[in-house]
Amino acid sequence: MIVCAALVVPPDSSVYVPQELAHRKVGLDYGNGTAYAGLQMLEGAVPREAVTTCAAVIHPGERYAAMMRGEFDATVLQEPWITVAEKAGCRLVSTTFFHGTWVAGPDLDPALYAAFLRGVIRAVRRINADKRRYVSYFKQGWAAGDLAVQALTPDDFNLGRIQLREPTPIPEDEARWAWDWMASWGVLHGSFDVTAQINRKIEGEAHELAAQSG
Amino acid sequence: MMKMTIEPVSAFSSLDVLVAIDEGLFSGEGLDLTMASRESRDIRSTTEGTLSSPVTNQGRLHERGDASMFQG
Repeated sequence: MIVCAALVVPPDSSVYVPQELAHRKVGLDYGNGTAYAGLQMLEGAVPREAVTTCAAVIHPGERYAAMMRGEFDATVLQEPWITVAEKAGCRLVSTTFFHGTWVAGPDLDPALYAAFLRGVIRAVRRINADKRRYVSYFKQGWAAGDLAVQALTPDDFNLGRIQLREPTPIPEDEARWAWDWMASWGVLHGSFDVTAQINRKIEGEAHELAAQSG
Repeated sequence: MMKMTIEPVSAFSSLDVLVAIDEGLFSGEGLDLTMASRESRDIRSTTEGTLSSPVTNQGRLHERGDASMFQG
């Protein structure tokens, strides 16, 4: 699935464009995709030395609440809290999308992974045929006890932020770029080695099996 | 029926997986897929980490052998 991440500021913020977040504190859930998406959005707008972040909790609802309390100037949210924030008058100063990638050990059975891929492919086709039907899923899990989320109706959701694509093998150039970019922030160390990061044998066999079964 | 356990996922990153579980799309492919639950010992706050040395809960169940896959 493609994840949507939005750089959000409170309704009373003086920030209207991401460039105005230079030297302003942005709360990020370090170590997670949304945090890296946030860094990329900031880096696209201000010099790296002007990117100023602080550690924030992983729960997006609690991160949103912390921003609204003024603990930081902006944060990065995913659905359904992007919709909650917009309804509360917050502004999205930047939005981006990134891949969610599945990670497994070297002992994964290609037949097992192929069955997983086939189930996901069928789900992607069903959801894309009628996204509105499935937005209620965003009110479950972490969001189940959140009153603002529970008050959302299906029509509140922007379906353009819900993007699904049938899974494909990991493109090496994207993986290499992501590694090098993370290394440039000191999160990873050493050089990218595709053979150490992606088991092309298992991946290839699984995708082939999944494709054969239609 | 093949069996596989994955780490817990949320709709924002895995709507497809949640729908596939609920609508029997994995079982239709011969896969009994379950989602493991994190215990309190598996959960550390991201606020304990730093940008270059983050704390993440992803992969903990996989490391312990309680899940075959997780979303990174």
